[in-house]
Amino acid sequence: MSTAILDPKLAPPFREAVLPVLRNPMLRKNVAHATEVIQNKRAKLVAEKTDWQELRDAASAIRAHVLENLGAYLEQFEERCTAAGGLVHWASTADEARQIILDLLRQENATEAIKIKTMTSAEIQLNPYLEAAGVTVHETDLAEIILQLGKEEPSHIVVPALHINRSQVREIFSRTMGLKDLSDDPKELTGAARHYLRQKFLGVPTAISGANYLIAETGSVAVVESEGNGRMCLTLPETMISVVGIEKVLPRFQDLEVMLQVLARSATGERMNPYTSLWTGVTPGDGPQRFHVVLLDNERSAILARPKERQTLKCIRCAACMNHCPVYRQTGGHAYGSCYPGPIGAILTPQLMRMHHAESLPFASSLCGACYEVCPVKIDIPAVLLDLRADVVNIERKQAKRAFDLMYIGLRIANMLFARPWIFHATQRMGRIGLRLFTTKDGWIKWLPSIGGRWTENRDLRGLPDQTFHEWWAARAKEAK
Amino acid sequence: MNAPISSRQRILDSIRSATSSVAKPAAELSTAYAVLPRPYIRKGQMTASGRLELLIERLREYDAEVVEATPDAVPAAIDAQLAASGKHRFVAPSGLDPENLVDGFDWKIDYSLTTGEIELAEGVVTAASCAIADSGTIVLHHGPSEGRRVITLLPDWHLCILRASQVVETLPEYFDRFRNAPALITWISGPSATADIEMTRIKGVHGPRFLHVILVRD
Repeated sequence: MSTAILDPKLAPPFREAVLPVLRNPMLRKNVAHATEVIQNKRAKLVAEKTDWQELRDAASAIRAHVLENLGAYLEQFEERCTAAGGLVHWASTADEARQIILDLLRQENATEAIKIKTMTSAEIQLNPYLEAAGVTVHETDLAEIILQLGKEEPSHIVVPALHINRSQVREIFSRTMGLKDLSDDPKELTGAARHYLRQKFLGVPTAISGANYLIAETGSVAVVESEGNGRMCLTLPETMISVVGIEKVLPRFQDLEVMLQVLARSATGERMNPYTSLWTGVTPGDGPQRFHVVLLDNERSAILARPKERQTLKCIRCAACMNHCPVYRQTGGHAYGSCYPGPIGAILTPQLMRMHHAESLPFASSLCGACYEVCPVKIDIPAVLLDLRADVVNIERKQAKRAFDLMYIGLRIANMLFARPWIFHATQRMGRIGLRLFTTKDGWIKWLPSIGGRWTENRDLRGLPDQTFHEWWAARAKEAK
Repeated sequence: MNAPISSRQRILDSIRSATSSVAKPAAELSTAYAVLPRPYIRKGQMTASGRLELLIERLREYDAEVVEATPDAVPAAIDAQLAASGKHRFVAPSGLDPENLVDGFDWKIDYSLTTGEIELAEGVVTAASCAIADSGTIVLHHGPSEGRRVITLLPDWHLCILRASQVVETLPEYFDRFRNAPALITWISGPSATADIEMTRIKGVHGPRFLHVILVRD
């Protein structure tokens, strides 16, 4: 059903990837509906919290403090987690993380694993790697099952299947689970997933998870969820492997009093998510008796080095930025070519790729600032976007093609025009006449030739008005006399 | 295990060099942490009864059923809840007050029940460690009267006995009460739910679909 490529190394640039989406009205309707519902729920619950801005300030300060002192907190986490019976592994790259996880599964003679939704595993493309090595992976989050069975890609980091509607889910489930009489009632669909997974939970002895937080003070790990599939995976298997980005540490247990207040409200518009689990190493008689944490760097330590970009890693993956982004709300997640879409993806993905891939993403924004306004940890996403745009330009400046690229020639001409008012006004008048040819009756320009087409291939343009502000001002002054 | 060790060093070196201008020396780290701004609300302003009313309202918004009982009427309240559930086979943690194991039902006490035995139970009765009124959250620390995590997970029906003195108004008040983190914690806010299909909230995916609370006015 899907043709999305969520590997930033292979995905086409945003402005090309977005084209099939813009021509898919059902997908756009599904995305617009879901993001509108979450926006409204969030707005209501944030409004009732009289100390919301203070909570944001605290959350932001805690996360910034962690990143500045990440080395010390990671070592503390490792020491305490190990003391509690956990085993900590370090992976510099995605490849190394995958290898460590596969080796651990082989030690267990595991041919199957159950999995809690984890964006970090999507980042390192763990599932296809394990499948190729002969390990069957069972996703257990409802949205992830829909995607796995439907061979679809995630388009959101909290509700990954928000681009799929109930009748599409019915089609996927009835086809893959062999349920002919299934209706499209979400309750019945959810029931089908519950039944499908129950035996997996009870029978598969190895689980893979991510984590929302690592607590340095205690060596504990916390997972925030809604369905209980997380609790099943954390409780029933004999072995648990958690793959976690190095930035996910919090200094102390008490810091959860801030994070848990801002996360669910921002993510799903709830006062609190149904289940949050915290565990510390291994507890005899309760839950997995072998516990591994794989700490993943994968370019994160390089992001830390740049003061403005460092804040990217404050992210707690709530997805409020994408729910409020006027670009994401039109395109959904697939156009971003990464498991991290939306505004946070537009700054995170290119940095995880050392700016060698996904360079078009920092431009996939109108810089309206809605993402910054709703971010619970106050990441100034527009500022980072601008900085990354400058990086892209600096790279392109060194390339020989620049002398012949229409965009750069155009910009040099624009530079000349803007510096000379009389040429500027003359060009404006000529442009007005020229653009009339392309302006439709409703006042919009929907197609332009040549370089102008780069704008109109995925956006409409307002036709030029008959009078510029300068002309209106001059006419007004004349009338007054 | 040579490779992971060298990766550990590589990652830590890379972090240290990236943060060298901002990282605090070890001796100053706790001071730097202590001065982080925490201007949010710590203490609630409600009266004791207002706090309980809020908790009940929040729990009911999650479709949890709440009844109140005086301390000496707890077994009777449990009896009424179990009878109304229409279920017979119940699990209880080993530390649950024996007077709460009311007659007329098939009780399995979790000394070390197998997963299969727990899966056969229709419901579970436990105590709790704390509840947070502001978000309608019940907190289990999985001590002897709350039981292992699995017993409040597999049965479809959970009855939780909560004392009024265990209810706090705000989340920070919970953290003030429990300065030292227990090894295992589950924060439960209503029955398990999903909104993955068209953002329609569906109650009960994998965890218990029914949450009942007896609030004991102690």
